[in-house]
Amino acid sequence: MSKLVFSTWRGEFIDNRGKSPDELSESAFKLPETYHGEKDSKAFIGWDGVAIFDEDIDAIELASQYAAQYQQYSEACGRCAPGRWGGRILYDLLDKIARGEGSHDDIAHLKEISQTMMATSKCEIGKTVPKPILDLMEHYKVQFDEAINGQKPSKHYGKDITYIAKVTAPCTDMCPAHVDIPAYIEGVRDMIFTDSLAATRQTMPLAHTCGRVCPHPCEDACRRANLDEPISIMELKRLGADYETDHGLPWQHPQEPKALRNDGKKVAIVGAGPAGLTAAYYLALEGIKVDIFEELPVLGGEVAVGVPQYRMPIEKYNKDIELVTSMEGVDVYTNHRVNAERLKELDAEYDATLLAFGTRLSKKIYANNENQKMGGYWGAIAMLDKVNLWSKYGIGSPVSNELKDKVVVCVGGGFTSMDVVRCSIREGAKKVIMLYRRDEATIIRNTTYEEYHEAVEEGVEFIFHSAVEEIFDDGEKITKLKVNRFELVPDPEGGRAQLVKVEGADFEIECDYLIPAVSQAADLQLLPEEWALELTSWNTLLTNGKDYMTSRPGLFAAGDCEYGPMTIVNAVGQAKRAASVISRYIYEGKTSLTDDEIMEDHLAKLKVYDKKEKITGWMPGLPRAVSEKLGVDERKTNNKEVNLGFTGEEAIAEAERCMRCYYISMVAV
Amino acid sequence: MALHNSIQKGKEITITIDGKVCKSIFGKTILEIARENGIYIPTMCYLTKVQPIASCRMCMVRVEGVDGFILSCQEKATDGAVIQTQNSELYKERQNIMKLYNVNHPLECGVCDKSGECDLQNKTMEFDVAGQNFTAREQSRPVENWGHVSYDPALCIMCEKCVRVSTEITGDEALQLKFGGYSSTIINVKKEKNYTSLGEAAAVCPVGALVSTDFKYTSNAWELEKIPSACPHCGGGCQMYYEVKRDEIYRVTNNYEFTSMCGAGRFGFDYANEDVTKDANAFTKAVEAFKEAKSIRFASSISNEEALILQKLKGKYGYKLVSPEARAYQNFMNAYASVTGKTLYAGTMKALSQSRGIIIVGSRVNNDAPIVKYHINMASKWHRARVAYLHPMEDSEIQNIVTQYIKYEAGSEEGVMALLADALLKEKELPESIKAFLADLDIGNLSAESNVGEEELETLKHSLDKKSGFSLVVGADLYAHPRAAQIAKLVALFEKYAGFNVICVPPAGNAMGVSLICDLDDGGEGYTIGYNAPGDFTLSALGEGDLDMPAMNQQEGTLTTFDKRVVPMNVALPYGGYVLNDIANALGLKAQYTINYTKELPVSKGFKAIEFDALPDYFDINGNENRGYLLESVSTPVNESLEEVAQIEEFDGAVIYQCNSVDQFSPFTAKCDLLDKEAVLLGSQQFAMATKLQNGDQIVFEVDGVRFERLFKIDTSMKGTIALNPTFDRGLSSALLFSYRFSRLEFERVGS
Repeated sequence: MSKLVFSTWRGEFIDNRGKSPDELSESAFKLPETYHGEKDSKAFIGWDGVAIFDEDIDAIELASQYAAQYQQYSEACGRCAPGRWGGRILYDLLDKIARGEGSHDDIAHLKEISQTMMATSKCEIGKTVPKPILDLMEHYKVQFDEAINGQKPSKHYGKDITYIAKVTAPCTDMCPAHVDIPAYIEGVRDMIFTDSLAATRQTMPLAHTCGRVCPHPCEDACRRANLDEPISIMELKRLGADYETDHGLPWQHPQEPKALRNDGKKVAIVGAGPAGLTAAYYLALEGIKVDIFEELPVLGGEVAVGVPQYRMPIEKYNKDIELVTSMEGVDVYTNHRVNAERLKELDAEYDATLLAFGTRLSKKIYANNENQKMGGYWGAIAMLDKVNLWSKYGIGSPVSNELKDKVVVCVGGGFTSMDVVRCSIREGAKKVIMLYRRDEATIIRNTTYEEYHEAVEEGVEFIFHSAVEEIFDDGEKITKLKVNRFELVPDPEGGRAQLVKVEGADFEIECDYLIPAVSQAADLQLLPEEWALELTSWNTLLTNGKDYMTSRPGLFAAGDCEYGPMTIVNAVGQAKRAASVISRYIYEGKTSLTDDEIMEDHLAKLKVYDKKEKITGWMPGLPRAVSEKLGVDERKTNNKEVNLGFTGEEAIAEAERCMRCYYISMVAV
Repeated sequence: MALHNSIQKGKEITITIDGKVCKSIFGKTILEIARENGIYIPTMCYLTKVQPIASCRMCMVRVEGVDGFILSCQEKATDGAVIQTQNSELYKERQNIMKLYNVNHPLECGVCDKSGECDLQNKTMEFDVAGQNFTAREQSRPVENWGHVSYDPALCIMCEKCVRVSTEITGDEALQLKFGGYSSTIINVKKEKNYTSLGEAAAVCPVGALVSTDFKYTSNAWELEKIPSACPHCGGGCQMYYEVKRDEIYRVTNNYEFTSMCGAGRFGFDYANEDVTKDANAFTKAVEAFKEAKSIRFASSISNEEALILQKLKGKYGYKLVSPEARAYQNFMNAYASVTGKTLYAGTMKALSQSRGIIIVGSRVNNDAPIVKYHINMASKWHRARVAYLHPMEDSEIQNIVTQYIKYEAGSEEGVMALLADALLKEKELPESIKAFLADLDIGNLSAESNVGEEELETLKHSLDKKSGFSLVVGADLYAHPRAAQIAKLVALFEKYAGFNVICVPPAGNAMGVSLICDLDDGGEGYTIGYNAPGDFTLSALGEGDLDMPAMNQQEGTLTTFDKRVVPMNVALPYGGYVLNDIANALGLKAQYTINYTKELPVSKGFKAIEFDALPDYFDINGNENRGYLLESVSTPVNESLEEVAQIEEFDGAVIYQCNSVDQFSPFTAKCDLLDKEAVLLGSQQFAMATKLQNGDQIVFEVDGVRFERLFKIDTSMKGTIALNPTFDRGLSSALLFSYRFSRLEFERVGS
């Protein structure tokens, strides 16, 4: 049963004051009625309205505290005249009323200043802060009138109520690593690239990497899309990282790293991929000792040995890695495979252990006669390992020894399969075919528009709506495949369209290699059986998705080995949170979340981005910048980075399109 | 998702502003198009020469069919947009913003330096804000003295212009914003540096928050007479105003909306030769001396007209004209012209600021020509320019701009240019002779001799891949090099065959003008007149000669600039003595005033026959420069033949580099009170080890016969075995220096 008293959230209007239990309305939104655990919220106030959960709320104090949060908020505010002075005036006037010294003229002034802020502020935070304040002034007018007419303090003035505020933005909320995107874009707009980078590194140490190969879920939550096209958020991230590297600057940390504590506490991390590196960085920033154990001879995990050079140059990724390994508290041990015995030792020796070993087993495609030992059958992960170890580190031998002038069939549809086919082209394969069960639109959605089109340009043949039914061999190696064709049949009930096999449309492909790249699984051999760790239904480590502790106290998991094969940015987000939890766990012996993290989770549930919102105050039709790429002939025979990045003009123009959709929200508890 | 950004850029568009149909191109902002069409939109934070700041919100307009107000300074106009810049609703919001700007702004305009030229005052009046309607709690924030400038946070309206200038223009990156809502403020993160370039940031302050510390409380703005002129110090000829009251220069300002100047120009104005009267006796002696003289030796810090007088006297009396720096530059440019077929380099400062790749060779550019460094910084900030700095010494002051340092051995400039030509020009269309020259280069040997690694050149080449818009900036290290002519030809290849925007930065003073106007001689002989230089009879604007001469801010005449523009200087301070023209008249030339020669400047060298008083001196509303006129590049015969690269003379052991400290250029800047005058030999720890010198040692050495007595100081930010030796404090003698800038140090300790 909802205890909602009042809500104007996102255009709804609910007023349950004085209503009988059967007349009560409920909100359509997942409002944070409960703050955390047993603790209830009294009210939630934010950019899109206000919700009250406690009849006894002091609306004046709530408004005043919200204004106070706004004018103290340091990132966005202070950059425009209406926001800077308007915010202060809002607070001063509301506080004056709450103290019992206000007048009706103050109410008039509040309305006037609110109007100017909403019409003219630079960022959304200034434009939206007055809204819930005006809502409270209108719908809780009685309280305001009482305080003014009686010249007496509002009912809870000066009482012990905690107000917890959080600033976010739709893009930041959607980003699994919650990167302060408007801040790093503003750094580009201001041409203070070190600020841009420091903003990124608050929650994302892999700025080079996620400025190049992030699938940018943030861009799906960019409000600019409501006006014309989303900001090219991902590519703008690269500017700060490139600036630091190009000018040989000292590391731009988000804050001065704390001195190593040397208090005997230490954390083990298994796996030096994005998740392991991220956790190590944030623990080390706090002065905590970290040891990273990596099975491969090189650092970086799948981004190093999986993502090809032309997409993610290793010299750039190495900068991200060096940022982490340059930290005083971080030591790395490569060629160090952790098995069950070793994990038990680590678990005993370290105060906490983070598992971040990814998913490095290529899944089968479930065709007849599928035999992983068969010549020509080559798992995507193993194949990309070999490509990258040779091309980036000179370890092993060139894959062209295997693939030159051969016919390669890849089964996939995600990023990994794109890497497989584009690498195969570069290794000199005669013909490269991608089989995908679904259609072109879906493959673009799963990867990116650029990735797909670049693959097509380079000569990859895509066969959609197809799947391998049977593999043929000559006893030693694969010779051909039997492929079924499917079609999408709409569900008459309006549900998801079904893939249905088209009878009589089967065909055969003669080939030398079959590379399955449908998905990966976690290699769980290192988990001691006696620990009986709880797993998800898809065989990854189970956590509650908030503190990332497994069913074994002190053992944490983040990244693909927790979530299943997912993105770099997802691994970074999980590992950042895990590092925060671990930093307290090793002293307190229990997991906890900070208020900021609790609010982060509330906002994610509430959803910050509103696809239907109408944008005002921005000129529509300003095109999204698109960076120059190497021409197909300049790139398909080599490993040169394909994306040349933005020119200065493009970057600044793109940064100027950003509407700085900062929002501030606050819970009273 | 279409690639429409590149397709739309530069496309013609038509928009309507307040009923007026305006044609323009896509990429321009609404405000820019409005200004081009003479339509007024109020702004508080807009500064034309930087990117839109968008902090004041005053420039909001209405666009038909678009909800809400649109920020005209930042938003690009789209084809067909119908825009309204004035209505009652916009007026009310703009008025409210002005009310906010006035919240707690102190009302003591009477004691504020800015009063009378304050944007806040002006707009407060314009929007009829009669009182302080809104109030907020006052905060106590003390004034900060940052050295050359002072900052009063209580007056600051946080327009951010100063921060933009510090970032985008001067590149000192000293000023930053400290966010914090109402308590937001500007901070100086490099206070210990006391950059004079902060004067450029103070220049753009629309209120009295950031002001020159020296000028503060000395005068009301409206009492000062603005005398337009050009800065004579580094040879850049930057636009400036001397602001004068009762025969005293109070400050230097400029047209900051469109142009910039360095701290030396802004703070180095008090070098006039004062209290001079007509000494008829000395004048007679001077005329006699000229009659006896065989040579005239002079520093290049003279006007074009004075140079022409000297040239005419040479024609009449056959003097040898000796001006070593200008001569070296003249020879260099003659060799340059023999490749390009043009007397002038083609590069411009604007193109430099728009470059995507910049190579600097043979100049410690931040010291030699700060305004050139500013333009490189602009390219770095606006265009993410790759900046390769090739020099025997790194310069930590420009690390934020440079993307690649390539250190070469002092003396190996010819080899370095040959290596650069090989790396960057080989794939261009070249005549057979040059192809053959490149093919014959012994790259391994050149690389070993110059100490420039082939992989460094490979990195440089790679970093310029797929880019366009390249500049090559070369400087004074090359001009006095024994192989200067060959180096000049190699530099010229970049302009001629690779379309580089080449700038051969002239040495300080008016060396370019002198080099174009005078037939200079390599050496003098016999009885010598010195003009701002030692001689048997000395004319000096420094006040230490046999006859006084006026300093540049006491003369009218023209200068040539880095942009090859002939610009006017006007008299800022009176001068009571004789001038060169008086002597010339006594020697048989005939001109009432020096500026009678302006129209006689040699057309054959690209000057124009325009009267001094007819020279324009302004920027139009769109920022187009209308100062004086641009020199014409004159065609010259072509001879592209190149010689074999010579063996380099090795510099073993400790080396000194004749290089002035930042803000110092000459004995004239050395006179200026506000400029740092410390003149020490500055070297690294490594240099100290090599020379067995200790911090604080006093030594004596000679360069070109000029005696230097120097305190040695260790600078821990420096590396290598080359020390910086300034020359500005040598008075007239500094005009004697003629050699290549690097030399071996052979010294004696003082008192030992």
